[in-house]
This record gives sequence, structure tokens and C-alpha cells, in this order.
Amino acid sequence: MTDMAPVFSRFFRLVRGLVIALIVPASASALAQDKLRVLTWPGYADPDLVKVFEQRTGSRVEVTFIDSDEVMWQKLSKNKAEDFDVFAVNTAELQRYIQAGLVVPVNTGAIPNIATQLPRFKDLRAIPGLVHDKKVFAIPYTYAEMGLIYDRKQFKEPPTSIRALWDPRYRGKVLLYNGGTHNFSLAAQVLGDTTPFRIDSKEWPAAVEQLISLRRNAQGFYSQPEESVEMFKAGGTALMFANYGSQQVQLLKAAGLEIGYAMPKEGALAWLDCWAITRSNRNAKLAHAWIDYLLEPQPSNALVTRQGLANTTTESQTLRHQDRLQWLEPVEDVERRSMLWERILSGDRAKKVLAP
Amino acid sequence: MKLGIAVKLGLLLATVGVLASGVTGFYAYQASRSLLVASAKAELLTTTKVLTRRITLSREEVSRNLQLLAGHPAAASAALGRSLADEDQMGTLMEQVMLANPSYFQVRLISASDNGLERVRVDRAEDRMVRVRGDDLQEKGHFSYVSSTLKLAAGATFLSRLVINHERGAHAGLDQPSVILATPIQDPQGKTVGVVVINLDLNGVFASLRADLPKDYQLFLANRNGDYVVHPDPSQAFGFDKGRRVFVQDEFEATAALMEGRATSVVTEVQTGRYANAPVVAAFVGRVIKISSDEDRLIVGLAQPLALVLEQADRLGGVILQLVIGLGVASVLLAAIVARAVTRPINSMSTAVQRFANGHQVAKLAIDRQDEIGVLARSFDTMQNEIRQQLAALHENRLELEHLARHDALTGLPNRRAFQERLDHAVARAQRSKQRFALLFIDVDNFKTINDRWGHDGGDAVLKIVALRLNATTRKADAVARMGGDEFVVLLDNPAHREDITAIAEKLLESVRSPILHNGQELQVGFSIGISQFPDDGRTAAELMARADHAMYDAKAAGRNGFRFSSIKGTPSSPTPL
Repeated sequence: MTDMAPVFSRFFRLVRGLVIALIVPASASALAQDKLRVLTWPGYADPDLVKVFEQRTGSRVEVTFIDSDEVMWQKLSKNKAEDFDVFAVNTAELQRYIQAGLVVPVNTGAIPNIATQLPRFKDLRAIPGLVHDKKVFAIPYTYAEMGLIYDRKQFKEPPTSIRALWDPRYRGKVLLYNGGTHNFSLAAQVLGDTTPFRIDSKEWPAAVEQLISLRRNAQGFYSQPEESVEMFKAGGTALMFANYGSQQVQLLKAAGLEIGYAMPKEGALAWLDCWAITRSNRNAKLAHAWIDYLLEPQPSNALVTRQGLANTTTESQTLRHQDRLQWLEPVEDVERRSMLWERILSGDRAKKVLAP
Repeated sequence: MKLGIAVKLGLLLATVGVLASGVTGFYAYQASRSLLVASAKAELLTTTKVLTRRITLSREEVSRNLQLLAGHPAAASAALGRSLADEDQMGTLMEQVMLANPSYFQVRLISASDNGLERVRVDRAEDRMVRVRGDDLQEKGHFSYVSSTLKLAAGATFLSRLVINHERGAHAGLDQPSVILATPIQDPQGKTVGVVVINLDLNGVFASLRADLPKDYQLFLANRNGDYVVHPDPSQAFGFDKGRRVFVQDEFEATAALMEGRATSVVTEVQTGRYANAPVVAAFVGRVIKISSDEDRLIVGLAQPLALVLEQADRLGGVILQLVIGLGVASVLLAAIVARAVTRPINSMSTAVQRFANGHQVAKLAIDRQDEIGVLARSFDTMQNEIRQQLAALHENRLELEHLARHDALTGLPNRRAFQERLDHAVARAQRSKQRFALLFIDVDNFKTINDRWGHDGGDAVLKIVALRLNATTRKADAVARMGGDEFVVLLDNPAHREDITAIAEKLLESVRSPILHNGQELQVGFSIGISQFPDDGRTAAELMARADHAMYDAKAAGRNGFRFSSIKGTPSSPTPL
């Protein structure tokens, strides 16, 4: 009999397939509704976590991973999001999905675990871009902040403001990230702009001046986390803008450097990935259950322990509750920021940078 | 198919010969191939080291140009921005340096003050020199080629990382693979007031280096992390600048030893990845940069298609193959000859045996040979002689037996059986040829008396003498036989007349008339002879015998020692009285 078992089961599957295909087509959609199609980043839906959800709900989860914002946009916009039910996206990127009508509002009542989230994530209105017309479009899931890494030997007290990057005392000892978007946001924050992602035309000359003076204070500009560690070690660096946040903290500590990590009072730039539900979701209940499940302790802890990321239910070790985070938003003009930044980086003075 | 010993032996010898030459050839090829590869590798490594040395020399030449510029009396005041005339003087000098060195993208004089503002700058643009002035001059203090060089002692050279130059406004050098060398400028008081910087065109430098190499050589250069900066496939160089790093240690695993400082040079063969179809031999040299630099090590490599290295080995392999084929053919021929030489005597011997068996005369054997074949031939010869002798003896015995079967042991005359055959023969012949013959039936008279008186010895002696006398009296063509006891017969072949028969009968009677000596005694015997004739008295042997027998009894009845013709007509011849 044991020999017959696989044949039997194959036969059974065949018959079942035929039955489904020919006799009860109506039930096909019922089965399909038990399937959840997830589009997300590696580390956000590990197989063991998915399995728990499948067992609990009796559904099947189909996870598709992407590794860039662009690929995610292509996959979702191509077929009007018909291929997916739920996806993870950062607050800045979320806006174009809302504008394209590819996402539907989330029913927060169907996600009881929101109650377990930290206050800064519970107050969805305080996070730009999540709420439109009183409707919530995404639930925060994980984030990373860009704080200031400082050399404990050169700082008696941790820096409290991003102004420290401009401090002439650290001239030639400040490491910065080679990227126009964030650097202009930093410049806007220093200028006291409450909307650092939207620099209006009057503010440009001042922002450029700020970045030129930042450049004059710089030891250098890095692109990759490993590069930043090498430069930090070689150059007697005092202060660094940590574009990669806790990842750099870990690398520097591993390299044996005595460093500290501080959040500026202006608010550390931070990206926040949230879960959103597509307009074409086939089982809204299941999609909400998925988001609710991921806010539970086990998946939330997995983010910290496995990915080195922060979750939204427990306070991060690098963050105090009073620390401000400046959630990233789409900037007014990516191309302009990067063109101006290239000129600044090349050493041009203000007049040349601002030339047409 | 049954293979003869010659074929088997030939095949065995040929196989051994071909195998021996093949294996020798193969190992000779292997050995020479590895020798050639080893020498090619050594040569490649030497070339790579020479190349590395040349790179250092090129760098040193740039350093000399930097010294020349930094040491110029106008350099310090130009760096301080105090004299336009000095700046122009430096500019002219820098243009000349640029003209003399086509691989220089830029030569600059940068101030230590004013955030590293460029004071004098000459760029290469397409095919001319551009003196960059005014607002187009940039602040470079945040680049390590300025900040690090400012910290150097006079005369020292700084080497930047090997990068794609993204500094805007760099004319021909923009977005090109570059390396920057710089040296500090000191004022007469020894204070560092600026730096002189030369941007080198990496592609230009390596194009001129490559020009001196054999055409099929591929040139590689990687930085301390193994990122390619020069690669035969330009898309593989400066991967880190495109967000997709390409490492030399991924393509040439052996270079990991250079990266970790475990070796200063490695030679490797690679036949995977992009070299799967065209395997290469590659030599890499790890060069620690001695001068102040953001790079601390460069990896210089040269690769050569393995096929080219092996071309020589393949030529040699061709020669070896020809030799092997030649030797193989020779060994096949030799095997055939040897097989023939060995099997020919065996074959001739087997022919001899066959002929001997068939009763033919024995063929000549190679008994003179001194080898095993000779021994075999001699043994066979001896055996053959023995068999022949035994056969001869056997033949003799047979003849004797045959004689015994057909002759009377006592008298040596043909016996009844033999005579019967002779008689049948005579009848058949006579019938065919219409000839005549006569049959004489002879009985010794009073033989019983002789026997009784003189014993069987006496009887036997008489019979012997009688037989001799009968033989002596008859012609050769006639047949005499003993029919048993004291009875003899004589067949007279083709007698001409009855008188002839009579004469013979009388002669026979006459022949026994003389006494017979036995143990000193004279014995006297007589004959009674009955005669029948073919065809007068019968046409069959039995008839003739019966008639002759009958006639003999008639003769006995008539008083013995006489003869009588069988006569149907009843006219008996008169008996000869004693």
C-alpha cells in the first residue's frame, strides 16, 4: 500500500484539479481568496514567520521580494496592482501609490495590535503622508534613522544638533554622505525649515551656502558604509552624518572605535516602511490579519534580532522616546538637488553652483 | 572466429608495441607540456613584475614633474595668490608639462588657504589646453589629495585612490578613470602653502603600457579591495562607481592571497566564468604602495590565453604523435615478421606431420636448428623414425601372417586355400582367353607306410623333398600347391598339347624316382597322378578338381606310380610302370 500512496495522492490531486476546474468553478475564487499575495523586502517576511500565519489562518501566503523602490513601482503599477494584495513601502514612496490610486485605506479597527505600537507610531497623523482625507493608507512597520556618530574622545557631551556638522572646531574632521537629497534636507533643517523636503525658490541660495560651508568643514564624503568606516579610521574623524544609521554604528564598533550615536534635536532624518493594501486585494480581512500579525512580538523582534532594524512596538536601543524623527518625504526636485550637489562637491563656489 | 597462433602472437606483439610507444609518447607529451606551461608562467610572472616596475617608474616620473613644479620659485607666491605674474608663469610651465605628457588630464596649483582654492589650473580639453580661470576655479580642500598632501613633508608624493573623476568642470578628465598625484609647495620659510596636483589618465597610462606588451596579453589592475580599475572588458572596471562591484578575487581566486598579504605574487590558471571558453594563464603581483596614499596596495595582473601557451606543446605533441604512429606501424610490422618466423617452422612441421599421417614421404625437418624449434624437430624426427620402423615390422609381420595363411608351413608351397584362388583365377582367365590348362592331382604313394616306419619326421622330410622336386620340375608359370596330407596339385598353364602334359607328368614321376635321404636311410616314394584339362574335363574349378581327383584314384587303382588322364571318352593313357 505504501508504494501506492504517491500514485494515489497524485491521482487525487488530479481529480481534485479536474473537479475544481470543471464542476465547481465558483469555489475557485473562494480558494483564491485564502491566498495572500505579498510584495516586500527581504527580511520582512521570513518563511518561518509566514508559516505561522498560514497555519493560524488556514491561508496560503505567496511572498515576492524586491530590492529597490523602482522594481516595486514597476511590479505594482504594471498591472494596476492586480498581482498583489499587500506590500511594504516607505512613507515617501507611498505618496505616488496613493496618487495613482493603487492603494486603498486601511481599516485600523481591523488591526488591534496597533494598540501595542509606540506612541510615535500610534499617532498616524503625526507621520506625514500616511493619512489623506482622514483615511489611513499604511501602517508603520519598521524604520531606520540617520543620526550623528561622534568620536567619544573629541566630544565631552554628545552633539545635540546637526549644527555640530558645521562647527569650525571640527573642520576637516566631519564625514558626510555623498548624496544631494539628504544633504539639502540637512541644510534646510539647519536653516530652521520645518519642511526640509520642500525647499522653496527663495531658500535655495541659503541652502547652497549652507552646503558649501558644510563642504569646507568636511573631511570627505562617503557612499558606502564600509567606506565611511575606512575614512573614519584614517582621518581622525570627530563627527559623521550616519546615512546608514545603526549599521554604521555596528561596523565602527566592530572596528574597535570608541564612538557614540546621537539624535539631533532638529529631528533625525528617518525612513519608515509601512504596510499598505492594494486596490485589487482579494481578501481584505486576510490582508488586515497579515498586518496585525506582523505587529505581534515574534515578527517584531525578528526585525531587530535578524535584520538589525527597529520595530514599532519596542523602543530602539539607540533612540530615546524624546528623540525626534523626521520621517522622509518625497523631495520637491530630486534632479535639482543632485545637480546642485555635484557642483558643490566639485568645489564650485556659490555663484557657480547657482548658475543655470 | 578462431585465431591462429600467428595472429594471436602478432596481435599481442603489435599491441605491446603500440601501447609502449603510445604510453611513452603520452608521458613525454605530458612532461613537456607541463614544462612549457611552467616556463610560460615564469615568463608571464617576470613580465608582470617588469610591468609593475614600469608602473612605479611612471609614477616616479610624475613625481619628478611634481617636484619640478613645486620647486619652482614662482610656485609658493602663486599658491598664496599674491602675484598674477607668478600664476601665469606657473600656468605656462604647467601647459608645457601637459604638452610633454599626453596622459595628464590636469595640472593644478592649489592653495592651502581659501578652502583649498585652485590658483592655477590647466585642463586638457579634446586636443587643446584650457587655462581655467576666475569663478571656474574650485575649492578642493575637502578632497584628500589636498588635505593629505598638505600634511606631507617637502618632496613627498601623495597618490589618490583610483577613481572615476566626477569633479564637475574637469574637461577631458570628467567621468574618466583617473589617479591623482600631488606634492606640497613650501614657501622659503618651509611652511606648506599649497599643493601641486597632476590628474593622470589611467586609460592613457595603461594604453601606453599595454602597447609594449604582446598583443594577446590581457592587462588587469585592481585596488586594495580587489575592485577592478583596469580590465580587458571595460564594463568590468570601476564596478564600485556603478554600484556593482567586480572583484579580481572573484575571477582569479588565487589573488585572495595577495589581498591578505600572504603572497606578493601568484600565478594561476583560470577556466571558469568568462574564461570558460578560452582558459587563461595569469600572473598577479601585489604592489604595496610605499608613498602616502589612500590606496595601500595595487594588484597588477597579466593574462595570456592558455591556448597560446599550449600551442608549442601542441606542436611538440604533433611530432610525438607522428613518432608514436611510426613506432606503432613498425611494431606491427615487426610483430608480423616475428609471428611468421616463429610459426613457419611450426607450420612446416605440422605439414610434415600431416603428410606423414597421410603416408607420404616425410618432409625435411629443421633438425639442424639449435633452438627450441630444432629440439622439437629432432624429437619429431626420432618419433617419426620409430614409427616408421615399427610400421615396417608390422608390415613384415602382416606379410608373414598372410604367407602363413596361404602357404603350407611344412613345405612352403601354397596351401589349398591359396591354390583354390589360383585355380579360380585360372578358370576365369582361361574362359576369357579361350586358353587351356591342366590340373595334375598328385598323391604320394604308400605315404602311410613311410609314416609308420620312419615316424612323422620321416614323413615330413619326404613331403619337403617332394615339394622341392615338384617345384624344380615345373615351369615358373605353373603352380604347385600342397592340398594337405600327401596330396599335391600342379596347375600347368596353357600346355600346347596333351603330349606336353604327358611329358611333364613323366618328368614329375621321374623326379621322385631318385631316393630321398633321411637320417642316413634312403627312402623310396612314388606318385599317383590324376590329370584333368580345361575345358575338356570341366569348366569349373570344382569339376576340374573332382575329375583330376578321380583320375588320380584311377591311376592308384591301376597300380600306382603312374598317371592317368581323366577321360570322358574313357581312353586312359597307359600307366608308366615302375
